[in-house]
Amino acid sequence: MTFDFMLIFDSIPRILTGIGMTFQLLFLSVFFALILAVILLLMRISGKWYLVIPNMIYVYIFRGTPILVQIFIIYHGFPQFDFIRHSFLWPIFRDPFGCAVVALALNDSAYVSEILRGGVLGVKKELLEAGAALGMKPYQRFIHITAPIGIRLSIPAYSNDFISMCKATALASTITLLDMMGAARAIVSETFAPYEIFISVAIIYLILTWVYQKSFGLLEKRMSRYVTQ
Amino acid sequence: MSVLGVLDGWWDDYFWGSVVVLEVFLVALVMMVLLGLIGSAAKLSNNRIAQKLANAYTIVFRGTPEILVVLLFYFGSGVTLTAFVQIFDPTVKFYDIPPFWAGSIAIALIVGSYATETFRGAFLGVEVAQIEAARALGISNFRTFIHVRVPEMWRLALPSFGNHMLSLIKDTAIISIIGLNETLYVAEQATGTTNKPFIMFMVVGLIYLSFSTVITLAVMVLEKSANKHLRSV
Repeated sequence: MTFDFMLIFDSIPRILTGIGMTFQLLFLSVFFALILAVILLLMRISGKWYLVIPNMIYVYIFRGTPILVQIFIIYHGFPQFDFIRHSFLWPIFRDPFGCAVVALALNDSAYVSEILRGGVLGVKKELLEAGAALGMKPYQRFIHITAPIGIRLSIPAYSNDFISMCKATALASTITLLDMMGAARAIVSETFAPYEIFISVAIIYLILTWVYQKSFGLLEKRMSRYVTQ
Repeated sequence: MSVLGVLDGWWDDYFWGSVVVLEVFLVALVMMVLLGLIGSAAKLSNNRIAQKLANAYTIVFRGTPEILVVLLFYFGSGVTLTAFVQIFDPTVKFYDIPPFWAGSIAIALIVGSYATETFRGAFLGVEVAQIEAARALGISNFRTFIHVRVPEMWRLALPSFGNHMLSLIKDTAIISIIGLNETLYVAEQATGTTNKPFIMFMVVGLIYLSFSTVITLAVMVLEKSANKHLRSV
């Protein structure tokens, strides 16, 4: 058994053909997850039981089941129903890419809404009272006081979540998508050289993780520039 | 019940699949706690090499996808073992370690890297005075670790540790990819014969949901008992 370095150099270009798919999966699902998460957050902090309870059930279900199962339910399970196949949603659920984005976004939104809630709860009450004393309406207080501070407080946790999402996109390779992981699995099945190929992919993922971590670090630093240390 | 009728004949498969999930969880849990303790002890030690190794461990396993680690462990060990076995018996074509062990070790290493960070933070939360007191009483370093530092750290680590246990149970689903016949694998088999994927995968979702519910409740009970000496009268 030898470690074939030439094979690594030969397969890295092929692995990198999947990086576009990895980025598309990541950024699209994170984008939709963020929108959904804000809606979920507003439901949660509304204080109305008929909004809070559906939110809690949603978060409970999506955080309590493996993301792989969610992907399989959507990809394998949904086409079973005629009403989905005949609806306007069919172009999304027919496509493994659409299924992966939907599954990842739904899953991530549950986590992100809780992260944002943590940020909102971290905003000091005195600031909101000051806002009220200045005659700001509740929505003004939310936009001008709660949101900027809450976002800053949730960045560290959000950065971790972003990195988990980057890793979760690799699961899309199980539903035939050729992201980096999918490309790597195809190469391994041809060459049967798991060490060379999988370790190369691992290094690419590690570099990506490092870049994301540093970027969020810079973002946090920039957003905390008014905060006295 | 026409909807649940398709599940007839599959209930026992799902049951044994759930048993496998539980077995993987318990095996990986033990390994994960040990890895977390060793990793955090290494990070907090004065030994440069141990610190470097522990840092490399957490960076690598927190930065690579779970599915990648599982596949690497399974196929990697397969290639290595086959090469090794062929030295003695060249007729052997392929020899692998069971998916159960490859998968359990893989997910234990992944979640263990998170546990390392959690335990490290919790160990730093233990008051130095406690350790000094133990030293003043002439208790050895090892026994201080077991009897003072770990029990004190445990209370602080519990909330995050609960999340790690949830990750662990959810990561078992990934092991189905390398052929471990846990519930997700059963659902794929069942879909093949019944052509009713939605309900088959929904059952898997419900099984995992009940596992996570039990873990969440167990962590709540543990937290209550770990903090009972702090409760105001």
